[in-house]
Amino acid sequence: GVLAHLELLEAQAREAAVKQEEREQQEEKLARLKARVQELRLQRDELRAKVDLQQKGQPGKEGAASNPAQPTARAVIEWKIRSIKAMLQVFYLTGISGKLTKQGVCFCISTAYEGTYLDSYYLDLLTKPEVQIYRHSVPVFIPLQQIAKKYLQTDIRRFLSVLSDHLNAYVGRRHQADQLQEHFSDQIEGTLQRNSLCNLLVFNYNVSSTSKTFPFNVRLLYGDLCCSLPTEVTVSCTPDAPASLAETAAAHSDLFRRVGLHKAFRSFSGAAGSVA
Amino acid sequence: MDETVAEYIRRTVLKIPRDEIKTMLQKWGFLSEAQLQTINFHQIKDNISQDVVQLCEENSADIKQAAELDIIYNHIYPNKRVWSVYQMNKTGEETDFFDLTEFKKKFKRQLRSALKNVTINFREYEDNAIWIRIAWGTPYRKPNQYKTSYVVYHSQTPYVFISASVLKSNLPLLCQALVVASNYCDIREMELRSHSLNSLKDIVFKRYSQNFQTYYPRPLEERNVAPENEDLRIIQENRNEKERIQRVNQQIFGDGPQPKLEFAQYKLETMFKSDPKMDVLDKKEPFRCLVKFSSPHLLESLKSLAPAGMADAPLSPLLTCIPQKARNYFKIREKKGVFPGSFVSP
Repeated sequence: GVLAHLELLEAQAREAAVKQEEREQQEEKLARLKARVQELRLQRDELRAKVDLQQKGQPGKEGAASNPAQPTARAVIEWKIRSIKAMLQVFYLTGISGKLTKQGVCFCISTAYEGTYLDSYYLDLLTKPEVQIYRHSVPVFIPLQQIAKKYLQTDIRRFLSVLSDHLNAYVGRRHQADQLQEHFSDQIEGTLQRNSLCNLLVFNYNVSSTSKTFPFNVRLLYGDLCCSLPTEVTVSCTPDAPASLAETAAAHSDLFRRVGLHKAFRSFSGAAGSVA
Repeated sequence: MDETVAEYIRRTVLKIPRDEIKTMLQKWGFLSEAQLQTINFHQIKDNISQDVVQLCEENSADIKQAAELDIIYNHIYPNKRVWSVYQMNKTGEETDFFDLTEFKKKFKRQLRSALKNVTINFREYEDNAIWIRIAWGTPYRKPNQYKTSYVVYHSQTPYVFISASVLKSNLPLLCQALVVASNYCDIREMELRSHSLNSLKDIVFKRYSQNFQTYYPRPLEERNVAPENEDLRIIQENRNEKERIQRVNQQIFGDGPQPKLEFAQYKLETMFKSDPKMDVLDKKEPFRCLVKFSSPHLLESLKSLAPAGMADAPLSPLLTCIPQKARNYFKIREKKGVFPGSFVSP
């Protein structure tokens, strides 16, 4: 009786709702397809116009080129590529450049010392769930973990800046020691004692005075890892050296503190013969 | 000159390939150029070594000088030994001003305080590598020059490369001396071993080519040039897939040469997963199994697997993580958690 009637009405209502949904979906689809057709028609018209333009341009090739004030698309793209490359080059030359990766950022720290470009070091960082170093090519004797612990989470600019200072100072010290060994090996007696960080150098070198040569021993300690000049310099000579050499030792000590090693040695050879 | 020293020098010279003997003796610098001129280096090695011993007799060589020659030989041919990598730890954060003379003094003092009968030699090289040769004796016997350990240490790094001799019992003494001399707190052995010392250095010092993404254009390489004798009648049906494999391979392995390892070993302690109906194992115990990959150059062969069509790209991370994790010995246990599978123990 009533329940059966109710069921019937329910079923009818359901059917009607389904039909309505179907109808709505159809209409939506229709609208989408119509819009698509419009799009394609527009595209077709554009392409037709292009083809016409090209065909018209063909026979007139030897004649006047297309409006000189309107550069060809190809020239525009070439110019864009050149300027982007130049921009990237500029960024690279500033020393710190980066590129977004799928998981974060990859930084490149390029080092230099007094106009000579030296090594580049890379840091691949993840940004989620927190900033961390995924992999890197920083030498193992640079205190990367210490610097990261201090700054990586809180101030990434400071992190990069401090790391860049460490790396630049390291390559600067290494460059000075290498230059010394390469260009002034004749003035150095025995071996140059150095270490991986180049923060302690000990060696003997010859100083000539009154046509005799005396060995000086120098110990350079670079207390500040972000600096490429030594913080402590000890220059000593043998006990039998004349007293005047003590002054020279002091002068050299002062020079080493202020100026790069190879420059200091260059000034020695320049001033050779002027030592009393 | 001591009989044993003479015999030791003779045997060391015999190890050297004939064409290299003269250069190595020159590097050694113990015999003068004039003395070297008197040796005929084209005769058989037996005779060459006798001549060398004769000249060393004239110069009264002692064991320290003979040991120098041994270090030089091992430095030029390090791949004849198996090297293990050890890692040191320190708690303080002060800058280390590594003083070589201090290091040598402390090392010798520490080692000799534990064992008097040792021969210790040091030799430094241009790349800041310090080579240490130790010949071991016992409290009652002089050092046996044929039972030597070699240590290679780069200052201000936490890594030490050790090629131990058969006397494993002396290893703790050696480790203790290293820790004290280099101002570290403790030392542990890493799961990284190989014949190629330079490759081990490349891995831990991160000198191998990791493919970092940068904007800066790298110098053009020639790998994309098509071979000249490409036959136009052959059509590459799978070009897209081949290119994808190349790309993925390059991302994982980088462009440069791979560090040279001879094997990778995986010790599995995972459950054997089989059809329950087959009931292969009654007990629910981990199935112990050892998988060992051997190759003259393991990483290069892994790199060429996918391009050769023998494996899918990308390869399993268990294989490709070797340089980055700096290990080639792994223990794989069952992962305790929601996801079935296995994880690599740290």
